[in-house]
Amino acid sequence: MQSKTAARTHTQLNRRSMLKGLAGLSGAGLLGGTFPMPAIAQETTWTLANSMRSLANPYHATFAKGGEEFAKSIGAKYEMLVTEGNSEKGVSDIKALLQRTGGKLIVNVDPNDSPDARVIVEEVKKAGGFVVTQWNKPDDLHPWDFDPNYVAHMSFDGVPNAEAIANALFGAFGGEGGIVALGGILSNVPAIERKLGLDNAIAKTNGKVKLLDFQPADWNEQKAFDIMQAWITRFGDQIKGVFAANDGMGMGALEALRQNSLAGTVPVVGIDGIDAALTAVEAGEFAGTVAWDPMWTGAMGLAIPYAHVTGKIDITKEPKEHREFYGTGVIVTKDTVAAYKANPPKTDFNDLWGKATGQVQYRS
Amino acid sequence: MQTRKATSFSYLEQWRRWAPLAVLIALCILIGLFNPNFLSTGNFIRLLNSAAIPVVLCMGATFIILMGSIDLSVEGIVALTAVIVSLLVANDITTYKLGLFAVPVAMAIGGIMGLVNGVVHVKLKTPSFMTTLGIGFAGLGIATAILGGLTVRIADPTFRYLSLGRILGIPMAVWIALAAFLVALTIQQRTRIGAWIYAIGTDEVTARFAGIPVEKTRILVFALAGLFYGLGGVLAAAQFGQGHALIAQGRLFTTITAVVVGGTALSGGVGSVVNSIIGVFIVVVLANGMVLMGIEPYVQQGVQGLLIIAAVALALDRSRLSVVK
Repeated sequence: MQSKTAARTHTQLNRRSMLKGLAGLSGAGLLGGTFPMPAIAQETTWTLANSMRSLANPYHATFAKGGEEFAKSIGAKYEMLVTEGNSEKGVSDIKALLQRTGGKLIVNVDPNDSPDARVIVEEVKKAGGFVVTQWNKPDDLHPWDFDPNYVAHMSFDGVPNAEAIANALFGAFGGEGGIVALGGILSNVPAIERKLGLDNAIAKTNGKVKLLDFQPADWNEQKAFDIMQAWITRFGDQIKGVFAANDGMGMGALEALRQNSLAGTVPVVGIDGIDAALTAVEAGEFAGTVAWDPMWTGAMGLAIPYAHVTGKIDITKEPKEHREFYGTGVIVTKDTVAAYKANPPKTDFNDLWGKATGQVQYRS
Repeated sequence: MQTRKATSFSYLEQWRRWAPLAVLIALCILIGLFNPNFLSTGNFIRLLNSAAIPVVLCMGATFIILMGSIDLSVEGIVALTAVIVSLLVANDITTYKLGLFAVPVAMAIGGIMGLVNGVVHVKLKTPSFMTTLGIGFAGLGIATAILGGLTVRIADPTFRYLSLGRILGIPMAVWIALAAFLVALTIQQRTRIGAWIYAIGTDEVTARFAGIPVEKTRILVFALAGLFYGLGGVLAAAQFGQGHALIAQGRLFTTITAVVVGGTALSGGVGSVVNSIIGVFIVVVLANGMVLMGIEPYVQQGVQGLLIIAAVALALDRSRLSVVK
């Protein structure tokens, strides 16, 4: 048996070496750029920030990059705030940044959950900053009720885009037969809209296309894989096509088809326009996808308020379709994928509403 | 290992050991009655395929739970190793082309993460719950940082063969999972570590008095679990032909559920890797069967929840419990 003191020194030494190890780990994180980094030049006194769920998915990573590019173009200080799916953290990070900048903050936020938008807007207005929201907000919260601080709300309309991509799917198998569909988390607004778009497209075929089954796979690739496997057992060659409410689930379904030697035979469509999906479109395994433009939303959510604070526009005098608007989704199919990849959408920081396609609609 | 309270209980105890298997067989019969396709060879192979990765992950997690600890780092380690292995084989981001040599590298990284789990847990005396949660987050964070939110696509057909290849009509992933199971079974039945795991899980104080190197065993078992998760990460990357930080989403819940539903007690000392195999199949068959039977999606979640409670209630040996917390 060791004496007490000896044992204690032993533990302390180990603890110290362990802490060193942990410091090394977090150091690796720092180098990788998970933490906000200030821009090099600094010409404006306004601080710009984008707030999003995480940097681990392509959509939000590009959204963050869009903000960074714009900030660089005007030489402003830029911060990325990550909520990690935690509403409390999302709100308190913005509050902290408002305090640090004395309210001289322009923030472009994709709220973790709809109710967060109200709290964030109120905090920003109180501090005298400016805010643009993305995707999620309560239906009765409008930018024009918080003039001038709540500059705009941006989103993408899931209904017409899902309907268009569903039609691309029907076209890929000749417009007649059964399909299966994977949905997102059913309480999410985009999941509801995309399902509605699919239902519309099916209804317009007058019974030629039949929905064999619909299952929510919660935006999860693995879940989509397992459900697709079960569908192959249940419906076999009745399945003429697969509709997935996002590309991730579409990829999961595609791999399940591949395991059963059906990849390329049964077409799949997805939504989001991630790289893997574009490649699958080129390979003829996906019939198509809808490409959003997160670079544009990431940049414009800062460019529009910046135009207001620099006096280029007066946001309070802009029409409602410039305060709550949809961006443009691009339908990418086998015919258009080469052109899309050769000439990806460009973002012109001065063309504030060039890609806006109409005022946000409330369907409920 | 356990003392029988009274002979009248022994019959019940015998039944309890077989409860998870009985649940599995009952499920199969029930689903087969609804949809005969369930019992087809094609579906059987699909079930094996869906079970492959969960089986590999459960082999690691079972040992940890048998010691009475818990491991929440599954998703972090799987994501990190999947991302690393994707970057080491032919891919669209880096120029490495290690081919199958990337597999031991990824497994070793999983093992190191597990080792860190074990060392921090034992030396700093932090509860395994918090330690593994922290290391899991670190794994996810590093995976995110390496790729910056992007997805790396694998362009190595040999590597993808680990999932897509077939021997005797059965996917390679299933054979690999079978090998992992045999290794785990050997460790459990034929090695001292296997016996020590049970001793620690049943009563750590007694195990210490008996001269079992409790700390060393704990560290070793966490490292071993990490190796299995590393293999799981490799299989996940091979299955989807890509690596990204979210690839392991949902794996933790399935793993722990399968271990517990299989009859391995969270309190430690009771259960085995064989139980976990049955547990994995209960979870996989249920998910497959509910889609086959066309059960409403939200009823499915409820059924899953009920089944977990039922399986745990059936398998629990209450005579050993003095306190329930």
